[in-house]
Amino acid sequence: MYAPVKKGNIYSFQHVEKPSEIAFDYTRTMLPPKKFFVRPKDEMLRLKGGKWEESNGVEPIVLFGVHSCDIHGLEILDKVYLDEPVDPYYKKRRENSIIIGMSCMPDEYCFCKSLGTDFAMHGFDLFLHELPDGWLVRVGSVKGHEIAWENEELFEELTEEDMRNFREFEEKRANSFKKHLNKEGLEDMLDLAFNSPVWKKYEKICLGCGNCNMVCPTCRCYEVCDLWMNAYEAVRVRRYDSCFMESHGLVAGGHNFRPTRLDRFRHRYYCKSYFDPSAGFNCVGCGRCDEFCPAKIEHVKVLDEVREGLQ
Amino acid sequence: MTFQTHDARILEVKELTSREKLFTLRFVDPELNRSFKYKPGQFVIVDIRGFGEFPISLCSTPTREGYFQLCVRRVGRMTKYMHKLKEGDIVGIRGPYGNGFPMEKMEGSTLVLVAGGLGMAPLRSVLWYALDTGKYEKIYLFYGTKAYEDILFRDEVIHLLKHGEDMNCHVKLAYEVETPSCIYLEKGYSPRVCKGVVTDLFRGETFDVENTYALICGPPVMYKYVIKELLDRKLSPGRIYMTLERRMRCGVGKCGHCIVGTSTSIKYVCKDGPVFTYWDALSTRGLI
Ligand SMILES: Cc1cc2nc3c(=O)[nH]c(=O)nc-3n(C[C@H](O)[C@H](O)[C@H](O)COP(=O)(O)OP(=O)(O)OC[C@H]3O[C@@H](n4cnc5c(N)ncnc54)[C@H](O)[C@@H]3O)c2cc1C
Ligand code: SF4
Ligand code: SF4
Ligand code: FES
Repeated sequence: MYAPVKKGNIYSFQHVEKPSEIAFDYTRTMLPPKKFFVRPKDEMLRLKGGKWEESNGVEPIVLFGVHSCDIHGLEILDKVYLDEPVDPYYKKRRENSIIIGMSCMPDEYCFCKSLGTDFAMHGFDLFLHELPDGWLVRVGSVKGHEIAWENEELFEELTEEDMRNFREFEEKRANSFKKHLNKEGLEDMLDLAFNSPVWKKYEKICLGCGNCNMVCPTCRCYEVCDLWMNAYEAVRVRRYDSCFMESHGLVAGGHNFRPTRLDRFRHRYYCKSYFDPSAGFNCVGCGRCDEFCPAKIEHVKVLDEVREGLQ
Repeated sequence: MTFQTHDARILEVKELTSREKLFTLRFVDPELNRSFKYKPGQFVIVDIRGFGEFPISLCSTPTREGYFQLCVRRVGRMTKYMHKLKEGDIVGIRGPYGNGFPMEKMEGSTLVLVAGGLGMAPLRSVLWYALDTGKYEKIYLFYGTKAYEDILFRDEVIHLLKHGEDMNCHVKLAYEVETPSCIYLEKGYSPRVCKGVVTDLFRGETFDVENTYALICGPPVMYKYVIKELLDRKLSPGRIYMTLERRMRCGVGKCGHCIVGTSTSIKYVCKDGPVFTYWDALSTRGLI
């Protein structure tokens, strides 16, 4: 079982043995739960006797305490990795995981409410909502039902008062958001703002470190390379890549399709703000890219400035 | 499995130029060899085990079964390794990937193939397919090359310069570097062979715009100029097809490298392309 654990000033999903290790009131982890399904560095195939073999199987895991935005983030990854042709590594790990959601209170970085990702209707097995005297549990899958069924003794009937408390919590939560993204016509607005001076302003501030990609629950570009373990064995490994890296758009002959920091900075905003009618935006408003940007660039502020620049 | 490659044996290696080699391959598994179907414009991912993978267009035609061909330019680590391989060696192959050219839709029409440099590789597949099936009204090949020594499939191109007219195939060649061989070729085939760039070959040409498709492949800078020539001749954007290159790692829409476009339209060159129309380019920023 993996759950949020406090390490220094940050939280991260770690292996836990007992409830006391879990940070129930955490805001966000640095790496989102995608790290369990698309590993930062991941062995795909192993070369033995000149033939590729599928790398080892997966261990079943329970992910405890996943916030709603991250559940939405996983569903966006599902769209990509489970779409034909299915990514076998991702699929196996998804099938072997149990996702237990947990309610949260927003901090100054969160803007999931603006994107409608502040509440999860699916994508989890169980979802725990904090009440003054326990947890309200929503069941989101067959697996979730089975868990509830087998552990009947842990559950009590829902009372009127529980419902009232639940509503109160949700209301308080909805009113606690400090950041709002104006998503009205966002994708069209951005399309028009291709030459906005705002991109040029931020190009100079951005360090091009790619942190924002690493921590984003929906970023999933990867690079592949083969490594020799010894004279007879090699592995094919994939690892996170970032569209802020110069090599991301480089092809033969040294031609680069996104040669400047400006191209790359803008590309990330276009990719995150792409609207897929069946899945929504490619951003879930988790606030990680703001919190972990060494240049203190704020996602919503950039988009707002671009919009203002148009008017 | 999605990323498993299949053994293919190199039947023949032919040196085309000092940088490009033509590899003729066949799958080791006879069943796979029979079931391997592809379209002109599609590509495969070549796997040199323990060294890495890279995408290469199929330059042979599906009308000739039992083998397939790849024309590989030596530009870096992987392609250098590929160039060291010999007849009998094994590489891994996965694919075919991408959408390919809509050959069936274009039946009965005139095809204008515009190739620049290595762009000749995927268009050779179209050219052979069109000649083999005989289902196209007329075929033009406009080929821009640096020098005589760089002409890919030189024997085939010169053969078509000589005899193409009999097959309704009109070949024109533009070269940039003047060498005795080019001058000799120009003497023999002027004005179809001339010094200049590929767009110079459009001079004096008109097309029946209702019944013509243009298919372009070349270096990124070429597209803008060629498209202008075609639009000047009133060819509609939906009849202009081009095949594009991007950095590719997965070939199947997962790794994110080949994503182009903006917030309103995102496309994967590997699975939505690599063949796009000029309409796509107009509605998807960054495509060309
Ligand atoms: C759809 C498609 C079809 C192609 N068809 C052909 C073809 O028919 N013949 C041919 O010779 N080449 C073709 N290429 C280009 C070929 O994939 C690259 O030349 C090759 O990957 C370079 O690998 P390398 O290891 O030798 O180079 P590297 O040492 O890796 O690098 C050399 C240069 O190639 C770039 N590069 C690396 N990997 C890729 C990649 N996956 N895609 C594009 N560029 C890359 C690097 O950024 C660098 O600029 C095609 C590319 C695509 C995307
Ligand atoms: S773009 Fe930023 S706020 Fe949006 S999902 Fe990614 S990390 Fe979270
Ligand atoms: S984390 Fe900040 S500085 Fe680093 S690449 Fe992203 S926007 Fe630029
Ligand atoms: S090559 Fe990986 S997404 Fe297109």
